[in-house]
Amino acid sequence: MVLYCLGLEGTAHSFGAGIVTDEGKVLSNEWDMLKPAEGGIHPREASRHHSDLGPRIIHTALEKAGINYSDIDLIAFSRGPGLGPCLRTTATMARTLALKLDIPLVDVNHCVAHIEIGCLESEFKDPVTVYVSGGNTQVIAFAGGRFRTFGETLDIAIGNMLDVLGRKLGMSFPAGHNIEKLAKEGSNYHNLPYSVKGMDLSYSGMLTAAKKLLSEGVPIPDICFSVQETAFSMLAEIAERAIAHTKKEQLLLTGGVARNNRLTEILEGVSERHGAKFHRVSPSLAGDQGAMIAWNGILQFKAGRTIEISDSQVLPKWRTDEQDILWRS
Amino acid sequence: MENVIAQGAESIILKTERWNHLFVLKWRQSKPYLFKDIDSHLRKTRTSRECKMLSVARSLGVSTPAVYAVNLDDYTILMDYIEGMQFKQLASSLSEQQLKQFCFEFGRSIGLLHMGDVVHGDPTTSNVIIDSKSKLWLVDFGLSEMNATVEMKGVDLHLIHRALETTHWDLQECMLKATIKGYSDTVGKEANESLSRMEEIRERGRYH
Repeated sequence: MVLYCLGLEGTAHSFGAGIVTDEGKVLSNEWDMLKPAEGGIHPREASRHHSDLGPRIIHTALEKAGINYSDIDLIAFSRGPGLGPCLRTTATMARTLALKLDIPLVDVNHCVAHIEIGCLESEFKDPVTVYVSGGNTQVIAFAGGRFRTFGETLDIAIGNMLDVLGRKLGMSFPAGHNIEKLAKEGSNYHNLPYSVKGMDLSYSGMLTAAKKLLSEGVPIPDICFSVQETAFSMLAEIAERAIAHTKKEQLLLTGGVARNNRLTEILEGVSERHGAKFHRVSPSLAGDQGAMIAWNGILQFKAGRTIEISDSQVLPKWRTDEQDILWRS
Repeated sequence: MENVIAQGAESIILKTERWNHLFVLKWRQSKPYLFKDIDSHLRKTRTSRECKMLSVARSLGVSTPAVYAVNLDDYTILMDYIEGMQFKQLASSLSEQQLKQFCFEFGRSIGLLHMGDVVHGDPTTSNVIIDSKSKLWLVDFGLSEMNATVEMKGVDLHLIHRALETTHWDLQECMLKATIKGYSDTVGKEANESLSRMEEIRERGRYH
């Protein structure tokens, strides 16, 4: 008999609901992203967005999957890491449904879910994962029963850097796509701080320097070009360090920034140099969405881990390496 | 006669024999997938920096391979071949006492660098070699920097912490403690500032 898992994602600006079977079939994957009229994301506004739109999104996910509430076998939710108010709103919906439908609840780590949905799609068994989004820049690999962060940003995430820069350049949020488009028209490279520290990196200096280029009258396409080339070279280097260090033979690119074609091209080059296979998670599964939570819920449920409602408080600072990965060995 | 010992992240390490002696040739190859200006800039600065910092580190009392030749046309460095093993590979087969001793030595070496306001830049256990006489060597100074601030020293220590928790997860507590002891005993009072900065940097990471 097929198991159906409803996964709810709501760690930051997006709310998503996805239905996935225990055979790894994604039946539906609905989401909506809060797009503030101006400025960044306010946690309270994002959580209101989730509570306003959540029920409808869940309903649509069920409709598109062609199943009823009574068909759902388990509920998985993003327990962390993320913004407290958003996590709490999402967890409340998950708990309510679990109680109402009298089915098990599974708590999922958002970062781990990004990796596992990528592994499902690529059929990779044990990759080095480059996870790049508005809130995260991490290089993660499995070692000793857990996913461990080999490298990450020491200050701001790459997506955050691109969005803030985009705002300065007069682009709407999220800015990644526009920056990529304009970068193709740029050709003059301007030096920007290249800041790699071991397997960690830092983007705040680059942001400051790029803003300075703007004030000096450097054409916007050249700024976009220089920022992309420098920022992605840094990512390539830490990915490369992680591959050389772990000797793993697969490289997975995921997260919202995975949509960038230039970054993909560079990481393909890295993989080739090290004789590793490469996969970029497809756009519908790369960003924050419910299907990844649902799939991770299935994996965890099959490994025998569910959570009682009374123990299910959210974990805004849940580290990737704090969870024993029971379904891998 | 040349053979590849390792394919690193940014270089190929070759073992080569010249003048009846074994050497390491570290070659920073071109990476065609990077924008060419960035690629050549990195290869050049890392190569010259590594040469310089290997000597600077030695003058501070840290054992490093001696450099015999550098070629900035093809970005190669010819240096001593250290007969030994990476600490990374050795760690799990050591007795607790030996392990602590090497960690202490590792911490001491990093401490000596920091006292001279130098950071290593990539202080993982892959970049520590232990030779047949149990002597500890530091290698790979391509990310090393001079005139280091407290922040830079804090990052250096944070990287050690990170390397231990990802690579030696089952031994990390014992290893970290011994490494920090070696560091503190060497640096003295001033170690506290760098160590508390390490904690601060760890907390700064978004979820870490």
